[in-house]
Amino acid sequence: MSQSKSLKKEKLTFNTIWQKYGTFGILIILLAVLAILKPTYFFSSSTAPQILAQSSVNILIAMGEFFAILIAGIDLSVGSVVALTGMCMAKLMVAGVNPVVAVLLGILLGAFLGFLNGLLVNVTGLHPFIITLGTQAIYRGVTLIISNSSAVYGFPASFTRVISKSVFGIPLVAIIAVIVALILAFLTKKTKLGRNIYALGGNKESAWYSGINVNLHTLIVFIISGICAGIAGVVLLGRVGSAEPAAATGFETYAIAASIIGGTSFFGGKGKIFGVVMGGLIIGVINFGMNILSLSSTLQQVVMGALIIGSVALDRFVANKK
Amino acid sequence: MSALVEMKGVVKKFPGVTALKDISFDIQPGEVHVLLGENGAGKSTLMKILSGVYQPTEGEIIVGGKSYKKLTPKDSAENGISVIYQELSVINELSIQENLFVGKLPMKKYGPVKVVDYKYMNERAKELLSKVGLKRDPKTLVEDISISEKQQVEIAKALAADSKVIIMDEPTASLTSEEVNHLFKIIRQLKEEGKGIVFISHKLGEIIEIGDRVSVLKDGAYVGTRDVKDVTADDLVTMMVGRTIQNTYQHEDAPDTYENEEVIFEVRNLSRKDKKVKDVSFKLHKGEILGFSGLVGSGRSEMMNAIFGSEPRSAGDIFIHGKQVKIKSPYSAIKNGLAMVTENRRETGFFYNFDIKQNISILPFIKTSKGKGTIGLTNSKFEKECAEEQKKNLNIKCASVDQNITELSGGNQQKVILGKWLAADSQIIIFDEPTKGIDIGSKSEIYTLMRKLADEGKGVLVVSSELPELLSVCDTIAVFREGQIVKTFPHKDATEEKIIMASTADHVS
Repeated sequence: MSQSKSLKKEKLTFNTIWQKYGTFGILIILLAVLAILKPTYFFSSSTAPQILAQSSVNILIAMGEFFAILIAGIDLSVGSVVALTGMCMAKLMVAGVNPVVAVLLGILLGAFLGFLNGLLVNVTGLHPFIITLGTQAIYRGVTLIISNSSAVYGFPASFTRVISKSVFGIPLVAIIAVIVALILAFLTKKTKLGRNIYALGGNKESAWYSGINVNLHTLIVFIISGICAGIAGVVLLGRVGSAEPAAATGFETYAIAASIIGGTSFFGGKGKIFGVVMGGLIIGVINFGMNILSLSSTLQQVVMGALIIGSVALDRFVANKK
Repeated sequence: MSALVEMKGVVKKFPGVTALKDISFDIQPGEVHVLLGENGAGKSTLMKILSGVYQPTEGEIIVGGKSYKKLTPKDSAENGISVIYQELSVINELSIQENLFVGKLPMKKYGPVKVVDYKYMNERAKELLSKVGLKRDPKTLVEDISISEKQQVEIAKALAADSKVIIMDEPTASLTSEEVNHLFKIIRQLKEEGKGIVFISHKLGEIIEIGDRVSVLKDGAYVGTRDVKDVTADDLVTMMVGRTIQNTYQHEDAPDTYENEEVIFEVRNLSRKDKKVKDVSFKLHKGEILGFSGLVGSGRSEMMNAIFGSEPRSAGDIFIHGKQVKIKSPYSAIKNGLAMVTENRRETGFFYNFDIKQNISILPFIKTSKGKGTIGLTNSKFEKECAEEQKKNLNIKCASVDQNITELSGGNQQKVILGKWLAADSQIIIFDEPTKGIDIGSKSEIYTLMRKLADEGKGVLVVSSELPELLSVCDTIAVFREGQIVKTFPHKDATEEKIIMASTADHVS
């Protein structure tokens, strides 16, 4: 109610419109380009579900990453957390543990790995960049050790079948991502916890003087990031059908990119879950587009990097122009 | 003698605003010309025109007998105009002597190459430092000296450039009274040498002490110029604000001592591990405003932080209305009704990423939360209402509570911060340097509000380095020295002299 009122009061300049819907605009432009270049592919009924399914892992990781960036930190360990949780779930299922129990334990492990990140940040007082750079290597190393550096497969077909399901044509994994997005959007918009996290990101000292327990909130933020990575681990495992020790390598880059493209401030305190989802979709569309345009995978890397820089630069350029 | 600098009919327009309207201003050799005005009155803009940072839209500047339509920074420097900004521009990583000659290092030939002549530089630096009375080796790194010493380096730098006009923008803002006296000694000496000084300050006492003439600006317009010996502090305030401002906020019928009143807040035997506070006890009575004076570093802010739980204490009990409370963190302090308006708004006060209503509602949200502040929902209707209430209550000047706090003036930002504590229904409010960098109009509003809070039965504690502020607001003034309360004055006995004596003397009689 009050939000729609304040919206009316703001002057509708190009600037304010861009700030609110800019990332959405970029997404539309990318889709339009794709539709013009490859109309037959683009308008096939499998395209949209495919983009959604492919983007869901990145969007899930990115939503956790978003919180780490929101407190002016970062979580570089998310890719390794995806791999380690996926590996543990695969091992459990192969050992005969009920898939539902295995999935819950996997997400719990993600939470625990995030908890460790947060604890280390609090205890050492070091920047999360350093801590998570370290745990990125540690978690990956543990994954390699417990898997003996080889892939694990052969877990119940029921698990992969469920994960690859679609409901009314929408992939289940996309629905999972949407549910997580709704929960996290509620957390950021409507809860005191969410408000405190924004406050902490805006000004740590002011937050402390306002009664916000800085360590506790830092811990919670990294647990959220770990849980999101854990859920992404479930989704990736189900989609791929095997647990690779090198799975999700470099995924933190795309998660960070999705957050930043989605308008999250690297200095903390500013950003929205909706923006992160848009950012994740933009990356998904770029990826999909490059595939149907049959760009070589080596060239794809270059294009992706350039587009990330380009889209963020464009956003900031327009936003700063008064 | 003719003026060193004369500005005639200067107008400066920015897109959408006229910052200066037809200003005339001149600087005579051997005088201190004070420039006075509230924040935003145009003082800095005028000085930036003089230093060549801004170009005037209209008007004329006569320097060294030559008329200019505008000055470039180079013109300004060549004509011997130096500006010492409030945020000092010395380079911390360089030595004092290198700072003095930065940009124009003395060189000597060393075979085919030119190298810096450190020997000459050092000798010249020693000369300049002795002129400003700075007893430091010129090779000392600037990061190792105090703020007042850095300021002396800036003055020496102006002398090194052979400046005829030295503009000082609020030079006393972060100095202790002793350091201010030293600065004034230097200024008087510069006057004798025929330099023209422009002195920008809010502090009326200082202006009357050091100034020869005073020019007042208000909302970008020229109000007038007076000889300082012909005006009183009250005249200046009236010129500056356009209305008279009261200068005492104590009740006329206030009792000599509040000892018979109910004790609403008490601290017993408070100490810190770092020895910055040693076994301090005090009581605050109903209706009383208790002020804490002392030199910077005497332990006042450190004590307040230890009370509020924002920094650890090693011993000490805290009582609110006679009941002992356990305070381990700001969160528990807030739950017990304590509030702290911190010294540094930007760093520890507000959230730049929040709008006004979010900056206010954060406190009531925290106070009513569970699970150490993490559990509970926000409520946008409540948020809006409580922000509107504080906006009205504190006369916060803003277009809407949806505005970002960074768009407000310093005084209004401070009111928003105060608003967040009042919105949480705080009972004991600690003010640490509550009016730092705030214009006189807002100051007066904040003082009035403090008195109103005390009258409502709330506890008001004030830490301030500005004696006039404590003297005009507090009923009781406690003097801090080396982590202890060395003396307590009831308002009627308190004078600046007595307080300074108590905060500096080695033995208190």
